[in-house]
Order: sequence, then structure tokens, then C-alpha cells
Amino acid sequence: MTHSEIFDRVVKILTPYVKNQEALASVSEKTHILDELKVNSARLVDVVLEFEDAFDIEIADEDVDSVETVGNAVELIEAKLG
Amino acid sequence: MTPPALPRSARLALALQRTLALAVSPLTTLAVAGLLRFWLRLRVEDREAARRTWRAIWRAREGPLLVCANHLTMIDSALIAWALAPPLWYVRHFSALPWNVPERTHFAATFTQRVLAYLFKCLPIVRGGSRDEVADTLARFAFLLSRGEAGLIFPEGGRSRTGRVEVENAAWGVGRIVKSVPGCRVLCVYLRGERQQSYSGVPARGDRLFVSLSTLEPKSDHAGLRGSRDVARQIAARLAEMEREHFAKHGEPAAPAEVRP
Repeated sequence: MTHSEIFDRVVKILTPYVKNQEALASVSEKTHILDELKVNSARLVDVVLEFEDAFDIEIADEDVDSVETVGNAVELIEAKLG
Repeated sequence: MTPPALPRSARLALALQRTLALAVSPLTTLAVAGLLRFWLRLRVEDREAARRTWRAIWRAREGPLLVCANHLTMIDSALIAWALAPPLWYVRHFSALPWNVPERTHFAATFTQRVLAYLFKCLPIVRGGSRDEVADTLARFAFLLSRGEAGLIFPEGGRSRTGRVEVENAAWGVGRIVKSVPGCRVLCVYLRGERQQSYSGVPARGDRLFVSLSTLEPKSDHAGLRGSRDVARQIAARLAEMEREHFAKHGEPAAPAEVRP
């Protein structure tokens, strides 16, 4: 799976949780998931669990701490996919 | 997040904070109790029964104890501590005065607030802030629990905007803490003023508070994140159940809360 395919799937998974639709329209790897997309921090775990299901990977509790931007999520998934 | 792995400097900082907080606790606990009783004129319904239950739970604890409560006012931490024990009891049982993780922008924005937060056993946190910083604070909180200190956390994160416990909004970090502290038990506390319709800064002046307690040992068959979320939702679900019991017993709030920022 290519980097851009992972990015697209990550954005698709994030979309239902995004409160700031304007930020979503111009989303990039630098976009901050909580601050800019305004995803509820309590729901971040739901998003990450969807990553696990969608990419068939396992993400540890501690790994979530490294996910601040969309790019962080893409990098984490790439690392888990090997 | 493994509590025993906390760096020595962080452990020393926590020990210093606890020592200083204990030194001033006769003043701070009495001051808070006085403000709640005489300025806000609050009273707790069936207070002695609640206090007996809390003391029994504290004495019988066999491991770390995390207090999880519903969240409707900015001073819920103080209300809960005051409702559950007399101020000077906490001086003698200082570990029972729970550590808190309040929102920094509300409770530690100014120098004075930071000093007060420090002396009231608070570890300020920025909700939704840097993940590393949040993880570091939760690690220190979990460390304290593992060392026999009581901790208080609001599973919903912020005050409930609907005035009701929102199970879906339970922050998974609560589950992560419980899972990371071996043998951690949870004491669910539901506290609500008779006139508390929704969230507010403080309860309505002269309000009558109801408090109920329920112990819980959340377990999950899931590992990792799914397990943490599972545990967090079990705790929030218990609080929601306590809320239903509260309304069944005492009815809906009688009047809007007085102060709303």
C-alpha cells in the first residue's frame, strides 16, 4: 500500500469525527487532528481502533501518544505495516 | 505507561509536592470546607452515611483506589472531598485526599492558580494537548495511585454539556490508567445538587447535594486500546446507572443552576 493510499484511507476514517469541515477540505499531513480538525480527544481512541481494523494492525496504548497530526497517523500505520 | 518506571526527578518532585501540600493542609482543607459551607451555604444530604461508607472503603482498600465521578461544576473535586470526610480527617489521612488532573487553562493559568493547584494535590493537564505531555501527566498520576495515594478523575473529561453522564464521551485515558496500575479498584462517585439542571461554575447557593458511592473492579477481555476503552466505558456506564438511580429516587432538578460562566 502506498503512502498516499494510506493517507487517503486515514482521512476517510477521520472524516466522521471531524468537527471543523473547513480544515478537512484543506487537510494535509501537517494538519493537527485535535487542534485543527477538532476531533474530540475522547474519540481519538475510536479513530485509532478504526485504523487497526482498516489496516489489520495492532496499535499499543503508548503509540497513540505519538499521533498528533494526520502525518503522524500515516507514519505510524506505515511502520506497523512494515 | 508503567508507573514504577517514573524517573527519579519526577518521583522527587511528587514527593516534595505532597510534603508541602500536607504542611499547609490544615489551612487549605479548612478554608475549602468553610467556603463551601458558609459562603456557598451547601449541605450534603445524609452526609454522615456517605462519610462512613468512604472511611470504610478507604480503610478496607487492598490496593490502589481511583475515584471516578460525574462532572457538572468547576469545583466538583472540592465538593467530593468535602462530602466524603471532614477537613481535618484528610490531614490525618493525607493519602485519602485525592490527587486531581484539572484542566490547566482553568485551574493553573495564573501564578496564584498554579500555587493553589500545587498545594491541592493537582497535576494540571491540557485536555487534547500534546500527547506526550498528557501521557507524562497520566504516568505520574498512575504512579501516585500505585503508591497508595487516592486519585480522582472525571471519565467524561469535561463538565457534561447535557447535564447527564455521557458514556460515549468517556476518555479512554481512564481505562489506560486503571489497566496500568495493578490491582486498581475504582470508586464511582455520583454527586449532584438538587437544583443542578446542567453544568455550571459552582452549585447554586444554598443547594442540597446528594452523593452516592459504588465500588467497581472493571475488567476487559480485550487488550490494548480496545481494553482501555472498554474499561473507561464500564466506569462511565456505572456512573450513568447511578444517575438513573439518583433521578428515580430524588426526581429531576428543581431549578436552574445559579452560576454559569
